[in-house]
Parts: sequence; structure tokens; C-alpha cells
Amino acid sequence: MPDLSVADLTVEYSSGGYVARPLDRLDLDISSGELVLLLGASGSGKTTLLSVLARILTPRSGSIRLGDTVVSDLEGAALTHYRRHTVGIVFQTFNLVPSLGAAENVQVPLRLAGVGRARAQARAAELLERVGLEDRAGHRPGDLSGGQQQRVAIARALAHDPPLVLADEPTAHLDYIQVEGVLRLLRDVASPERIVVVASHDERLLPLADRIVELTPRAAPAHGAPPRLELAAGQDAFRQGDAGDFVYLVEEGEIELVRERVDGSQEVVARLGPGRYFGELAPLFGLRRSATARAATPAVVQGLTLADFRRRMGVGAATQVLRSGTV
Amino acid sequence: MWLLTLRDLQWRRRRFVIAVLATAMAFAMSLLMSWVNARLHGEPGRIVAVLDTDAWVVEEGTSGPFTASTVISADLAETVAALPSVSAAQPVVLLHSTMQARSVRDVNVIGLPVEGWGWPQIRHGRSPTGPGETVADIAAGLGVGDEVFLAGRRLVVVGTAAGVSYYFGAPTFLVPLADAQAIAFAGQPFATAIATDGVPSSAPAGFQVLSPAEVEADLARILESSTQTIGVLNALLIVMAAGIIGSIVYLSALERTRDFAVLKATGASSGALFAGLAAQAVTLSLVAAVAGAALARFVLTPLIPFDVDLTASSFVTLAATALAVGVLASLAGLRRATGVDPALAFRAA
Repeated sequence: MPDLSVADLTVEYSSGGYVARPLDRLDLDISSGELVLLLGASGSGKTTLLSVLARILTPRSGSIRLGDTVVSDLEGAALTHYRRHTVGIVFQTFNLVPSLGAAENVQVPLRLAGVGRARAQARAAELLERVGLEDRAGHRPGDLSGGQQQRVAIARALAHDPPLVLADEPTAHLDYIQVEGVLRLLRDVASPERIVVVASHDERLLPLADRIVELTPRAAPAHGAPPRLELAAGQDAFRQGDAGDFVYLVEEGEIELVRERVDGSQEVVARLGPGRYFGELAPLFGLRRSATARAATPAVVQGLTLADFRRRMGVGAATQVLRSGTV
Repeated sequence: MWLLTLRDLQWRRRRFVIAVLATAMAFAMSLLMSWVNARLHGEPGRIVAVLDTDAWVVEEGTSGPFTASTVISADLAETVAALPSVSAAQPVVLLHSTMQARSVRDVNVIGLPVEGWGWPQIRHGRSPTGPGETVADIAAGLGVGDEVFLAGRRLVVVGTAAGVSYYFGAPTFLVPLADAQAIAFAGQPFATAIATDGVPSSAPAGFQVLSPAEVEADLARILESSTQTIGVLNALLIVMAAGIIGSIVYLSALERTRDFAVLKATGASSGALFAGLAAQAVTLSLVAAVAGAALARFVLTPLIPFDVDLTASSFVTLAATALAVGVLASLAGLRRATGVDPALAFRAA
């Protein structure tokens, strides 16, 4: 069974004309048989990572390997073969075809891959039995509960017995009774022969996982005193996409906040002088830096911990930051 | 993909049934127009063939015996008969009139010598043997023994014939020459043309010789604008049918965007997705064509006041048109199916 290796993976897309980089130089190794849970807030890149692993998205740079296959380089027929046979996907909203019965939904990937009708029917029956829905084979998605639909979706993902199964928020639309069945099934799917990657912010999944990967760029806890940076003109205090650690206060000189545009150019979105704070949103809300802070002139900036910042701003610091509209 | 196509057709069957009915109506009207057009196109050839004349002698400057009636002496037939290459000649009266039977209706009247040629093949009854009798086109709706008044003159239908209508299906009454002369010329020995057996090498002074082909072309000329108009309307109906199927297929594709994204994410090619849509559109179109053909044949045709030509080729043409309409209509959803981003499957609904 192949291992999955993600190296220096960067994914970019355009967001309102600016470059968004939900995954920036990500490294990740998953051994065969592991169930890995990707944890993180919305926007942390969980779904993006699944999309890239499924090769629905193409990374800007970096590589994905599954055994000997360089997944990130696949194109044309090889890519189609990978999507059909190597990866199975469980979508957040089930995404079953509403006009098809449960068994027919499970058959879809098989029929698309040219598997004969009789074999596809037999395989679908086997999988529905495995997920405990053999008596619902003819029911359309609209006649099934959310949990049952998700189990059909899992059966569909397993149609080709793929070595890699990706599940995006598999419990997002389920109540606690339905969650239990799906959790048990996911654990069961993660056999020694298969890698299962689950993206979720549902902490009920934690005990299931062999490994947990946190994608939210946590603010690096301040070890020691926040830095006081003396910047030459053109030098960066931090870069767009970095994890947020400290809030900064301009003591001397001027700082420009610069955003990368899709066309490669850079746009100055703010220019701040002495006494102004910057870089507060990322540590406050657990986001990545949305702009680069660059010295427009020789400058001195003082780093502040979140606690220091809150103390200085008083109660409602976050609200004030949001209202101020700075980055 | 065939399974998906079939299930989607079942899933959205109400909408598809409505689309099929609307398209069937368009196809039925199109078929009917094709039949009417075929009928109009065939009219000149049919009536000229029925009269079985080698050449027509008409007054010089006249476009043709059917379209421009000029009065000539019936005695001219004797002069023409004496011309080289002519074995016989007979006076003919061609005119438009009205009939009064159950209602007033525009008709054609052709007067022929009782002993002459040009009488049509009789379907029921017999040809006239003397004045006061007529052979009626079945389009007139009369039977043997019925009485009819042509321009006030009472005639008895002694026979019926098919396919002798012209001028947009107006029925024709073939009457003895004397009756036609009574209707048109108050009984004077006049005619509107001379029909010949044999082709005269020249015409008497002041007259011209027209071949059957020239007479047919002259008669077809006045139908040309009508048949063209019908052709344009027919094309518009086909466009309308394509529009109906296209709209339905596009709506279906619009609603299935997420399905397409999921299918792409699981390895379906754009070509396969388009093939599924095309199969759906072609199926709808062909079903509509079958329904349309039945509607035209069994419901609409009996409402038409004259015989229409139910040609097999028109059904074949309709099937081919339906196929083309289906393929054309599926293009409406092409971009939706093939351009969908599989990443959409990962987004929350």
C-alpha cells in the first residue's frame, strides 16, 4: 500500500483580484492505513487540501506523491484514471444524484469507468450491505435521512476500493444519532490497505484519528519578549500568508501594507505612521496575514502580544479593530 | 451516462411531458405545412397531366391558359387541327366561379367537349354524357347524384375524381363545353384555349403555342410566394421546437450543475457529460416527433378542407429534423455540462 507524501505544497487562487494562498508551503506525510483528521477553522485550507489531493485543483507549486505516482503531475487520461480508480470522495453535502436510487448512485463511478452492469450492480449491493443500507437500495436520496445519504456517499466513494479516501466535513449535516453511524463507518473504512483523510472542525472526530493535522495558522505563542524590529526601507516585518503572531506598533518611520494582486503586481492598501497599530487581525482571529507589512522608510516597530494589545486598547479591542478597517 | 439520462428523464417527467407536447404541436404543424406545401407544389403538374394535352394554343401575350383567361373563338380548334403535326384539337374553357351547394365556395370550372379528351379518372360514377352533368373533385365534398349550382347554372354530379384541384386546393368541376360556355359566355361558342393532340410547329397569327411544361410553370408561378411563405413558417416552427427542447435541456443542465461537478470529480469526461445531455435532448425531440406525426395524421389532417399528401419522405424528414433539433438543442446545455468546475462538488450547497 502506498504512502501519501505532500511536499512544499502551495495553492493559490484569485480573491477579489488579490492572491489568496490557502495552502502555503505545506508538508505532510501520511502512512498507509492511517486515518488523518485535518482540523481547522473555515478558510484554513482543509477543503482546498482535499481538492488538491483529489486533483480537482492543481497546486501552484510543490508535489503530491501517492506511492510511486506523482499525483500533482497527472494530466489527461492518467488524471481521469486517478480520479476514477485511486481516489474516493465523500462530499460535505452528500452530493448524491437525486434522480438515482441508492444502489444506482453507488454504481455511477463504476459505470463511468466502464464496469459492466451486472458487476456494478453486484458491487453496489455489496457496498450497501457493508454500510447497512441493503434494504434501501432502491430509495432515492430524497427518501433517505441525512445519515443514510452520507452512508450511501461513503459506499460510492468505496466503489473502486480506492487506496485513498477523502471525506469533507462528513458530519456537518448530521444530528448526533446519525453521526455515530458515520463515525463508526469511517473508522471501519480506514483499513491497513487504505489512507483516509477527513477534513472537519467537528471535534467529535478526534478519537477516531490516528493523526491530527491542524491547518489553522495559530498565532505563535510569544516565547520571550515581543521583538522590536528596526527595518531598513523595503524590509518586511511579515509577509502575506504568514501565520499571525504579534501585533505591531509603529514607533518611527512609515510602514506600507501591501497586497499581491493576481497579475503579480502589488498594491499599497495602507500607509501607517508613528503611533499606528498593524497586523492585529491575524492573531486576534486566527487568520493568515492578508497583506505584507513593509517599511516605506527606515522604521522601528514594536511587537506586542495579544494580551498587551488588548490591555492598551481596552475592552472591545476586536470590535475596534474591525471598525477601524485596518489590516 | 445512459442510466443517468434515463433516470433524469423520469425524475423531471412532468416538465419533459409538457415540453414534448409543446414540441409535438410545433412538429405537427410543421408536418402539416410540409404536406400542404407538397400538395401545392404538386398541383400544377397534376392538373396539367389530367388534361393530357400535348400543347396549348392561347392568344399571344397570354401567360397561360390557367392564369389568364382570354376569349377566343371555339372554331379556332378546327384551324389548329389542320396544322402540321396536329392530329386533333379541341376548345377548352378554363374559368373561376363559385359553387352553391351547402355553402358558397370558390371553385375552378373546366369545360371540355363530352366526346373529347382530358376527362379525369373517375373514382365514383361516370363522365358526363351531355349538358347539365359534371364530374366534381372530391375536395368539393359532393357525391354522385348531388346537385350543384355553378354561377347559377344547375348541374348534377354524375362522377367524382381525386386530385383535380388547383389554386391552393380549390376544387374543380369538369363540365361539358356547352355548360361552361353557358356559364362564362352566355352560351356563345367561345373558348379560353385550344388543347391539341400533337404539337403544332407554329401557331395561327395572333396566337402562341405553349408546352405542358410552360403551362405548369405558369401555374406554379402564382403559388411561389405562398409556398415560400409556408417554407419560412415551417422553418420558424422548427426553430421554435429547437427553442423549446433547448430551454428544457438548458434548465435541466442548470439544475444538474452540482451533479455534473460530482461526476467530473469522480472521473466523468466532458464528452460523456455532453453525450448524456445530447441523448436527453434527442430522446425528447424524437418522442415529440412521433407524437407530432400522430397528431398531424389523425387529428389535424381531417380538419384540412382538401386532400394532403401524406408522403413517407415527410415522416423521414421529420425524424431527421427532430434528430438535428435534439443535437442543436443540447448545445444550449453544452457549456453548463462541460464547463462546470469539479471543485464545485466540494462547496456547500
